This record gives sequence, C-alpha cells and structure tokens, in this order.
Amino acid sequence: MEALRFSPSEPLTMGVELELQILNNRDCNLTRGAADLLALVEKKPHPGDIKPEITESMVEISTSIHRSHGALLDELLGIRDAMRDAAERLNLRIAGGGTHPFQRWSDQRIFPKPRFHYLSELYGYLAKQFTVFGQHIHIGCPDGDAAMYLVHGMSRYIPHFIALAASSPFYQGADTLFDSSRLNVVNAFPLSGYMPFVETWDDFNGYFENMQGFGIVESMKDFYWDIRPKPEFGTIEIRVCDTPLTVERAALLAAYAQTLARYLLHERPVKPCVDLYRVYGYNRFLACRFGLDGNIIDAATREQRLLKTDILETLRLTAHHAAELDTTAPLAQLRALTDEGRNDSAWLRRVYAESGSLSDVVRAQSDAWTAEVRKGRETPRRMAV
Amino acid sequence: MALQDFLPALPPSAGPLVLFGLILLAGLIGGEVARRALALPKITGYVLIGLVLGPAGIDWLDHSLVEATDAILDFAVGLVLFELGQRLDLRWLRRDRWLAVTGIAEAGLSFACMYFVLIWFGTEPLFAAFAAAIGMATSPAVVLLVAKEMKAEGQVTERALCLTAMNGLVAFITVTLLTSLVHIEYKAGFVVALFHPAYLLFGSALLGYIAARLAIAGAWLLGKREERQFALLVALLVLTVGAAEALKLSVLVALLTFGILARNLDPRHRLMSVSTGNAGQIFYVVLFVVMGAGLQPGELATGGLMAIVFVLSRFAGKSLGVMLFAPLSRLRRGSAGMLSLALVPMSGMALVLAQGPGNLYPEFSAKLSAVVLSAAMILELIGPLAVQFALRHAGETAVMPDARYGSAAV
Repeated sequence: MEALRFSPSEPLTMGVELELQILNNRDCNLTRGAADLLALVEKKPHPGDIKPEITESMVEISTSIHRSHGALLDELLGIRDAMRDAAERLNLRIAGGGTHPFQRWSDQRIFPKPRFHYLSELYGYLAKQFTVFGQHIHIGCPDGDAAMYLVHGMSRYIPHFIALAASSPFYQGADTLFDSSRLNVVNAFPLSGYMPFVETWDDFNGYFENMQGFGIVESMKDFYWDIRPKPEFGTIEIRVCDTPLTVERAALLAAYAQTLARYLLHERPVKPCVDLYRVYGYNRFLACRFGLDGNIIDAATREQRLLKTDILETLRLTAHHAAELDTTAPLAQLRALTDEGRNDSAWLRRVYAESGSLSDVVRAQSDAWTAEVRKGRETPRRMAV
Repeated sequence: MALQDFLPALPPSAGPLVLFGLILLAGLIGGEVARRALALPKITGYVLIGLVLGPAGIDWLDHSLVEATDAILDFAVGLVLFELGQRLDLRWLRRDRWLAVTGIAEAGLSFACMYFVLIWFGTEPLFAAFAAAIGMATSPAVVLLVAKEMKAEGQVTERALCLTAMNGLVAFITVTLLTSLVHIEYKAGFVVALFHPAYLLFGSALLGYIAARLAIAGAWLLGKREERQFALLVALLVLTVGAAEALKLSVLVALLTFGILARNLDPRHRLMSVSTGNAGQIFYVVLFVVMGAGLQPGELATGGLMAIVFVLSRFAGKSLGVMLFAPLSRLRRGSAGMLSLALVPMSGMALVLAQGPGNLYPEFSAKLSAVVLSAAMILELIGPLAVQFALRHAGETAVMPDARYGSAAV
C-alpha cells in the first residue's frame, strides 16, 4: 500500500461544490432529469464543472480555485445562469436547499454509473435517502500537518457553518423542527462523523493504512466526515453546510471559511485536544436543531453561550484577517444576517406559513435560486446581499 | 303477497352498477393475464378482454350493455382529457418554440401523409380529410396510462404528453371544421354548415374556460388541501361532461380546454396538482375494456389493407415531423425516435370522433368506419406496446427494486 501524499496547494485559496435539486414544473417534486440536463448544458461552454450525483434528480456543480470572494461569486453566478437556461429548455427547475421538502426517498432512482450502483448495493436504502443536498467548501493548505491542524481547529466552528447554511427544515413531507435535517441523514453512514484525533500527516497516514488494511476503505472518498482532508487537491473540505437557497449565500459561507482558516493558521487560537470532540457531537446537534438561536459549548472555557453571539464574536476576532483577504464586505453581510437571526430555514418556514403548501415552498425555493422572486415576497437574496 | 312480488324476475336484469363491476373485474383479469402470461402491457389485456367479451367474441358486452355504461364512459373520457390538458404547459412552448413547431409539424405532416395516401388509393377527398384528421390524434389514454404504470419521467415522456395534447386539440378542431363540409356535402344548408362547427368549437371552449375559472376560484376558497380540491375537481369534471352533453357540445374539446386552462390560467398555483390515483385508474380500466368491445375485427376484411397503409403513412408523417424538429428543440440524440414511437397509439377517441358526424349522417359514418376502425383496431393493440418500448428504451421508466443480496464487496 502506498502512503497518501498531500500535494500542497496555495494556502487559503478556495473552491465550492454545491449539490442541487432538479424539479418538474408541475408540482415541483424531484424528477429524473440529470442526464438530459447535463447533455444539454455541456453543448455550450460554461464556467465551472457540472457532474451527476447519486440519484437522477441531483446534480453537483463545482467552481475552480479562487483567491477572492468576488471571483468565486462571479463563477457561481455564471454556472447558475448556464444551468437555468438549459433547465428552461427542458421545462425543469433547479433549486438549492438542503432537502426536498416532500420527495419520497423510495421514488428516487440511482444514476446509471458503476460507482453509484456500487454504493446503492452497499448501503441499501441509505443510498436513496442520501438524496439530500450539501455545500462543500475547500480551503487550500500548504502541507499535510497544516491540514491536520486546520481540521481540528475548524471543528470548533462547525456549528457556525451548520446554522448559517441551514436550509432543510422540511423532510419527507413534514416540518422536522430542525433547522438542518439533512445532517441527520448523513449520520446514518458508518464512516460519517469526525476525523480521529491525529495531529500530523504521518499519523493520519498510519490511521488510513490501518483502515485500508482492514478492508474498510479504499480511498479518502469513502470517509463521509464533516471535515476531511483532501490530499490530492491539497485542501481541507468542510461538508456540513446545507446547499443554501442562493449562490450569494454559498459564496458568503466560503468567504467566512477562508477568513477563519487564515485566523486559525496564523494565530493558532484553538488548541487541538480531545475535549474539542467531547463537546463536538452535542454542539453539532444543537446547531442542527435550533440554528442560530441554539447554544454552543466552548470546550476551552467550558462556557455556554448563544451560537449567534459566538459567531458575532468570531467575526470581530477575525476582522483584520478579513481585511487582508478582502472579505470585509461579504463578512459584513454575514454579520447583518446573523444579527437578525435569520437563515434560509427561517425563510422557508415563513413561506410555508403563508402558502400552506410544500409544493409552493419548493417553487419559492427554486425561484430564489434563479433569482426570479415574486414581487411582495421577501427574498432570501435580499437577506443574503 | 305472492312470491313474484318480492323475488326478482328471471333472469334478473343487470343494472349499470352490476355491469360496471363486471366490466371492471373482467378488465382486471385481462390485465393480469396479459402481464403475467403474455408479458404484454396491462392495457393490451384490458382491450383484448373487451374484444373477447364484445360482439366480435362471445357477444356478451353488446351494444345495449355498452350504452348502459355511457355516463361512466363519458366521465372516463373527460378525466383522461382533463389530465392530458394539464400536461400542456404553454409557457414551455413559449420558451422552446421548436417544441411548438414539432407539435404542429408532426400533426400537419401526418395529416398530409394520410390524406394523400388515401386519395391515391381513390378515396373521396372529404372522406380522406376526415380520416386523416382523426388520425392526427394520439391516444391520450394509452400514453398517460402507460407513463403512469411505468412511472416514466423524463424528456420523452413529458414531450410525448405535450405533443399528444397538442395533436388532440388540432385533431378535434379540424374534425369540427370538417363537419361543416359534411353538412354541405349532405346539403344541410349554409347556416347549419357555418353555425354548427362554430357552436361546437366556441361553445365547448367557453364551457372549458368557465370550468377552469370555477376550479381555480374554488381552489382559492378551499385552500391548499388535496382532499378538498380533489372533490372539487371531480364535481366540476362530472358537471362539465354533463353540461357538454346536455348542450350538445363536444366533450373532447370542452374537457381538454378545461385541463389546459386550469393549468395555464393559474399563475399563483391555487389549484394543486391533484393525483387521481387509484380512483382514476378504475375508470381507465373500464374505458379500455369497452373500447375493446367496440373493436370490429370484421372490418379488417374490407378495410385491412387500406388500414395498414393508413397506419404506416400516419407513422411516417409523425416520425418525419418529430425527427426534423425535435433535435432543434434540444432533445437528446436517439430520443427523437423514441418520441415518434410514443406517438403511435390511436384509439378510442377516434371512435368517438368518427361518431360525431355519424350521428347526424349515418351513411357517412358507415363509409368512414372501415378504414378508421380497422386502423384503430391495429393501433389499439400495438399502441401500448410501442409506448412501453419507447419509454423503456429512453431510460425513463422506474427501474425494478435493485435490492439483491451478496454482491456488495465489503
């Protein structure tokens, strides 16, 4: 067995992957459209990369590598527009959001590709239940050891990302009372959760070889951790975010991750220790369930405080790093959103309260994504910009 | 009190309910036999059992019995057309003009092919035009039911339904307009020739419009509750079908208009997408069994060869239209052929259409029937197979559950 090599990348560069929903135009249920959509969208040059996902009603878009929030947002907007044009020709809709509010998992169809069929055979119904939609944020790291530190350091802030991105209050036709119900689906997988407590790249390699030796994993792809190193890209990958309702919010979250990463790598404020992971699972639950209004337990100070307060405090602490990275403006938006205590889940619940129909919720979700929001309705875009 | 006062006369006369139940049972059996023993679509089974029970077979389900189910059948036809109408999304046609062009080309070219072939075989022009107009329509019942049964989703399915709604509308309008020529042919006078088609078209469309407005307004009052909106829709469907009959309007045009407008006049989506589900299924079964009973294999002897030519020219026209324009509307390569196949069924609606002027001028109907009924017979049997094949090969049908043991490697 060969040791995993961490190919270094330019520190603090970033890239984003978003899993998106493909809907029909009648009742806005998920529909089989990935193959047709991909075939059409690939006929014209477009920015970024668009790929199939495990079921036929999902696609994944990914950006190239960026240094700045502005360029990242531009690319995301470009991909979004290319997809919207193709979808319109096929009478399909595209939407963000961490879950589809009323799809039935058993209706989903596995995309015809060997790896997806393999996963479906291995995981049974979990594979179809995995029709949930997340945002992955990659942050470039100079070397494997820095990546290890960054994974542990970021784990302190995982609740921030969960609450700020939460957009999956409804699942299988009901309000779950969670702000992010999507992560509960991820929890069912045996290799989900967090990376074991190893502090150097050599130690990580030892762990990986062990797992390979047991025959449990073949590659890093088999780990479904909340944050994982991605040695072939030279990045760490934050995977807890729901796909937000707009690309604007997706870009804000990336800017926040980039700024936090600089703060962590330059100041090393979080001391990696086992205590971090003693509070981890509970903090994660609180963020999923209560969003910005939940509490967070700080392992270092043993203090409980409102998650919202913790985010605002972190934004203050990282302000000069934001200035260095030119993310001051997007983080000011994020501060405003946090201050008002509103995330996409809150918006979706309001739409449902107004209309009383989950079909209408998805339609609004899709209108928000393509920025065609009906007059008079408060937009998540406005919330995000 | 004597025995005969409370005992039924022998043999007891079967009321419409008994008849409905028996037809439904027969359909279920036919469908299952077709599926299990013959590996055919269930719809083909419904039609075959109808054929066996009807005048062509054991002659149980004869004309007088079929008449007793008229009300149920009319509702079934209305339901099919309403559902189909809802599949026609005018905004899609506006965004993708080539799809609209495909629809017009496919209907127009198939009309032209059928018309000229019939003329070439020495058919009178009016009769040829009538037959060609009827032939333009794809059977909505077959396409809808096969798509539902196979849980098909995707571009071929959506486009097949959209084109079926379009060619149905074009066919109904053309047939209605041709009716005026039939009137002239039979010297009914100019006023009748002008007024009758106008009354049929505008009256039926207006009825459909009113029904759609009522449905949307009612849905707004009821709120987004599926069970309430379902009851509202059933009520309006029954009423519209009944009103169309009472006013001697076209049930086909009225209900198709109702469906199209209910979908397209509702920008705020007041009307939920209500599924007719298992309840709707029952009416489809009865519809197909009775259509099967209406088939007349005897006509094949006289109209058989012509019918085959008619069917082939129809397919040629439809395929040409689809093949020419579907690629421009961004259908994936290979899918256009499947889409042409999915438009093959022509069925019971043809019978209804053929009866239109037939009721007024029986001798006209007799002339028309040999070819059209033979063609309907052929296509009603192979149509479901064609649609099933097309949707399966387009990869749009639900795959059977893939749970199997053992092969997972880990």
